[in-house]
Amino acid sequence: MFTVQESEIRDLLNVLNKEYKVFVPAKVGDESKFVPYEDNVEFCWDRNVLLSVKDKFFPQTEPLYKFKTKRQNLEIEPLAPKDEPVLLFGVRSCDLQALNCLDQVFLTKGFVDEFYRTKREQATIVALGCNEAEDTCFCTAMGVDPQKGHGADIQAHWLQGKFALEALTDKGQKIIDTLKSYLKEENLEVPETKGFQLQPDMDGVPEKLKGMFDSDLWTEVARKCLNCGACTYICPTCHCFDMSQDVRGEEGFKYRCWDSCMFEEYTLMAGGHNPRPTKKERVRNRFLHKLCYFPERYNMLLCTGCGRCLSVCPVNLHITSIIDKVKEAN
Amino acid sequence: MGTMEQLTLQLRETAREILESKKAAAVIGWEMGTFWYSTAPAILTRPEETERLVWNEYCLNNLAKYLLDFQNTDEKVAIFARGCDYRGINRLIQDKQIDRDKVLIIGLSCPGMKDDKKARELGQNADIPLAKKCEECTYPDALAYDLWVGEPKEAAKPAKAEAKVFPEVESLEQMTADDKYENFAANYEKCLRCYACRNVCPACSCRECIFGNSSKEWSAKANNLSENMFFALTRALHVAGRCIQCGECERICPVNIPIMLLNKKIIQDIDHLFGPYDAGLDPEDKMPLGSFEFTDPEEFM
Repeated sequence: MFTVQESEIRDLLNVLNKEYKVFVPAKVGDESKFVPYEDNVEFCWDRNVLLSVKDKFFPQTEPLYKFKTKRQNLEIEPLAPKDEPVLLFGVRSCDLQALNCLDQVFLTKGFVDEFYRTKREQATIVALGCNEAEDTCFCTAMGVDPQKGHGADIQAHWLQGKFALEALTDKGQKIIDTLKSYLKEENLEVPETKGFQLQPDMDGVPEKLKGMFDSDLWTEVARKCLNCGACTYICPTCHCFDMSQDVRGEEGFKYRCWDSCMFEEYTLMAGGHNPRPTKKERVRNRFLHKLCYFPERYNMLLCTGCGRCLSVCPVNLHITSIIDKVKEAN
Repeated sequence: MGTMEQLTLQLRETAREILESKKAAAVIGWEMGTFWYSTAPAILTRPEETERLVWNEYCLNNLAKYLLDFQNTDEKVAIFARGCDYRGINRLIQDKQIDRDKVLIIGLSCPGMKDDKKARELGQNADIPLAKKCEECTYPDALAYDLWVGEPKEAAKPAKAEAKVFPEVESLEQMTADDKYENFAANYEKCLRCYACRNVCPACSCRECIFGNSSKEWSAKANNLSENMFFALTRALHVAGRCIQCGECERICPVNIPIMLLNKKIIQDIDHLFGPYDAGLDPEDKMPLGSFEFTDPEEFM
């Protein structure tokens, strides 16, 4: 592996910034998120950021095309997704796994979302290993290796005041080659991630859930849910969206934006019928989608154990406790 | 006052007795959450479940909102209530969302709860400060109740509001219009529009919210500063004069928007224009924005 002193990371990012639009994890006031790299960013290396990189590929609001009417004529102008090379530096394993989930949805089974595809192909990703888990972390229970970002171009580690880089793809190797003058070749030992407190046992859970649609469990756990969308909007894998339009006079644009299965309107049908009328049905759907339907369709869990929903849920209705309860249920 | 461990046992006993004797169909309280610094609201219907109840320094959730889930039942619901829960319950009664007869209020005296986010950051051995909403609390105890848990209390003095001055509102008012706008924009640019603030709020009880009904096109689902501000202002004005200052909206905001700032500005203005008023102290109170007197200021007319 190749290393660079932490104090020199900005030199390296400055070089990369010439060729790519570089995003780094940063503290912004009370928040933390990926921001475009600038000299004065306050890095956030010690823990994962609150807002994942999901919106770099699947923005909360994304215009799709413009339209204009003139008498009988309709003009449509496609809005091409931004076509610029992007480099995300410091994506954690859980969030990379989340991108792998989104890839399934937006790129496979014959449905390719051009807006997502363009941005995904333009992105180079430097993963960052986790030396220490937060108390809300449970990625290992969801089959994620916190020291190895699956699908990244380069794996980075933050060790002993240095960043250690290892190429995982040809694209990654090329980047390391261009940075050679800043890097020193040495091998540092990558420690096992410390401090996991939560280890929900997923063994057999997706299969068991197949028979639990009518379980009383959902009535009980849903009671405390407020049906806000905090869990879904903070989640790196939730990907439901709604189409809408902004019309001013005779012109406007069509856009899509995140939607949440926790909202009443989400399943409201044109005739006024709502197949998920109460919070019980909505809570059930959220957890079945993550832990049963998605694994059934794509053979992978739609939860990567990042723990964000655990830290934002106003009523502490935690997916880890749901998994425990499913395990216990008769 | 007994320790919180002792009170927890009394809470459980009281709840069990209520469910066993069928004085209420459900009891709303708190149970342990996943972490040492977290609890969760517990809505219990079976006597044996009452063993889960706790009363500790992290019972942060205001419970009043859960009464709405029993709006369409004929059964009575029991609810543990400190000052903030009590004011929330009154909010729902005064807004004609629930009947007082259908609620069994079990009064509590609150020592003030600790800040769970700070607790998570500082660790179990640190001295954890009070939650912001509790630091600012002026009514820690339920003012009226059907049952009381804890040391017997002296008869509650009739509560009387005092004119409030919030330091953050004062400094906001010192700003130029441009600075105010910038401050407002910086706060709401990050809004996720998850509506956690709305859903936790005992003053937000509309059966249908305009922000949950995009087909009307009054508001759009798009996340941008304009729509986010529209949401923030609409909600602030809709709870004006009804906000019970429980601070739950601000406490639970996933992106830490100081949501109470707008509410406090309006509360301070109402005190100034109509005389000191604290919402939710008594459901029979005349609401400053829900009633009219000939002496009301009408500077804009």
